[in-house]
Amino acid sequence: MSTAPMSPATWVRHNLFRNRRDAITTVIAAVVVGWVVFQTLRFVFGTARWEVVRANLTLFLVGRYPADEQWRIVAVLIAAAAVAGLVTGVLTKRRRRAAIADDAPLPPLPFARRLGLIGARYWPALVLLLVLLLLARTSTPWVVAGAVIVAAVVGRLVGGALPPKVGIVLYALPVVLPFVALPFLTGPLGWDDWGGMMLTILLATVSMIACFPLGLLLALGRRSTLPALRGLSIGVIEFFRGVPLVALVLMSDVGLGFFFPRDALPGRVVRVTIAFTIFTAAYVAEIVRGGLQSVPRGQTEAAQALGLPPVRMMALVVLPQALRNVIPALVGQFISLFKDTTLVFIIGFLDVLSVADNVIQQPDFRGQGLFAESLVFAAALFWVGAYTLSRESQRIERRLGVGSR
Amino acid sequence: MTEPADARDEGSEGAVFADATVVGGSGDVMIEVFGVDKFFGDFQALKGIDLSVGRQEVIVVIGPSGSGKSTLIRCINRLEKHDHGSIVVDGVELSDDIRAIQAIRRETGMVFQSFNLFPHLTVLDNITLAPRQVRKMPRQEAEALAMELLARVRIPEQARKHPGQLSGGQQQRVAIARALAMQPKVMLFDEPTSALDPEMINEVLDVMKELAREGMTMIVVTHEMGFAREVADRVVFMAEGQIVEVGTPEHFFTRPAEERTKLFLSQIL
Repeated sequence: MSTAPMSPATWVRHNLFRNRRDAITTVIAAVVVGWVVFQTLRFVFGTARWEVVRANLTLFLVGRYPADEQWRIVAVLIAAAAVAGLVTGVLTKRRRRAAIADDAPLPPLPFARRLGLIGARYWPALVLLLVLLLLARTSTPWVVAGAVIVAAVVGRLVGGALPPKVGIVLYALPVVLPFVALPFLTGPLGWDDWGGMMLTILLATVSMIACFPLGLLLALGRRSTLPALRGLSIGVIEFFRGVPLVALVLMSDVGLGFFFPRDALPGRVVRVTIAFTIFTAAYVAEIVRGGLQSVPRGQTEAAQALGLPPVRMMALVVLPQALRNVIPALVGQFISLFKDTTLVFIIGFLDVLSVADNVIQQPDFRGQGLFAESLVFAAALFWVGAYTLSRESQRIERRLGVGSR
Repeated sequence: MTEPADARDEGSEGAVFADATVVGGSGDVMIEVFGVDKFFGDFQALKGIDLSVGRQEVIVVIGPSGSGKSTLIRCINRLEKHDHGSIVVDGVELSDDIRAIQAIRRETGMVFQSFNLFPHLTVLDNITLAPRQVRKMPRQEAEALAMELLARVRIPEQARKHPGQLSGGQQQRVAIARALAMQPKVMLFDEPTSALDPEMINEVLDVMKELAREGMTMIVVTHEMGFAREVADRVVFMAEGQIVEVGTPEHFFTRPAEERTKLFLSQIL
């Protein structure tokens, strides 16, 4: 890449039409891309009949959750947004402090610039939100979106104002909150009544949060010198990696009843979440183990020579380097998990994809060939989630990569 | 610290120590290695090593590669486990007891050929990690100590950088500061200049010379004969897992007794 600024004409000549072969490639690629973009735009804004999505927007978002009780889901969303804002606020403040300690204070950015950065970071989610709001027929979604954003902003401001010592308590919040607040918020209804996009998000988020520590423990267990612990870890990892996820999903729903008394079992959503969690944890364990192996022996030797006890050596020297090395693989696994949650359709859950499949069978829309509309919409929801995960992981990588080898 | 290095050399001038257990330095014994064997599988890396190191003594270990020099000093802080014999550091005998191992590691600093700085931490955090975690030193005190040590190794301005941003010579000096931050009684150097570009070797050797002058007990595995001649109280020549010859630098570089020593010196000088 040349560093000198180029005029647009020079840039085009230099990058697109340097010689005959480049020119041909450029033209062919342009034609293909142009055709695809044209067809897509024509579909989205022209031929597509979005009425099927519009009429079923609620179904897509929350499944068959009773209308009278939907405020509970809204409350969950607001609480989640507030916690996310709070954690972000605390982390940002901590990062600023660290930067000041390192004599490289981050200059405070003007408000407009910060908004711009947030926009650039979350544009797919923001565009999706806008589309949803425009598709909505009532004003309720606008109010909900507004309340969620306000909750996030308030959380962020409160988080930024908290004294730094509170930080440790905050780490527990996102983990504890679902277990304490959700059952209360869901009231007479259980998690089993969740559906649509909210169910997908619920399954994916809880599994992601829970599978990481479990996978970490399995990875450490597999490297343990205690034969019993190592054997148990290897057993769990190899069993759950060796079984198809579909089988685990089915097993969690119907199979467990053959081994355990039905009354003793948690609800269906909880069971299938555990299945996703353990399945993914087995993969996370192997990814983390690979990361542990990538840390040179000299690092542990240096830590040992300094007299660091084993647990601290692992926590302060080995794991930070190991995890940094495997962020791309970990996020890949998380994205995979996010999309694999669609498998719950086989046990009759109404997640986004099942909704997309069901709505075209409704009397109003049956036989009109609306697969494309409803599937494109469902796919867009997934893509926004997966792409955001991927972008965030790249941000983390960049931040941790500062000054690395 | 008690006496200048020059005074220490007097009296031992030109003396030959046929026995490696005769101690130089200030007189009392800091490290006692007795009858140590070390096997890697069927290969015997150390064969009945006897060596005593006095307080404030500087021992330079030389010898061809594969002669067991590194293995010897790695046994002293239990990075390798010796199979027979005994190793006593400052009155504590190395055993399988984790407390004994930790006690010895706390008193023993080590500098590696490949630096082994922690790449995810800043220079300052590299140095303060062990004092804060092992010695439970408060952060401010640890950082003040770290800055003092960085000034001693002449790179205080690099404190906030990451190891990856430093030259090899600077990294090795940080590694020395990191080891010193635990205020060890013994420093082990495992070929500290072998991975360095030639122009950076001296900046590291200078720091080591200063350390020796201040009275640190040191065992240095190195190929730097100039350093051995200038700083060592005794030079130990090892080959094939055994100590072949021990003596003052003066003895070593003018009239070595053993054929193998002569051969080795003729090859490298």
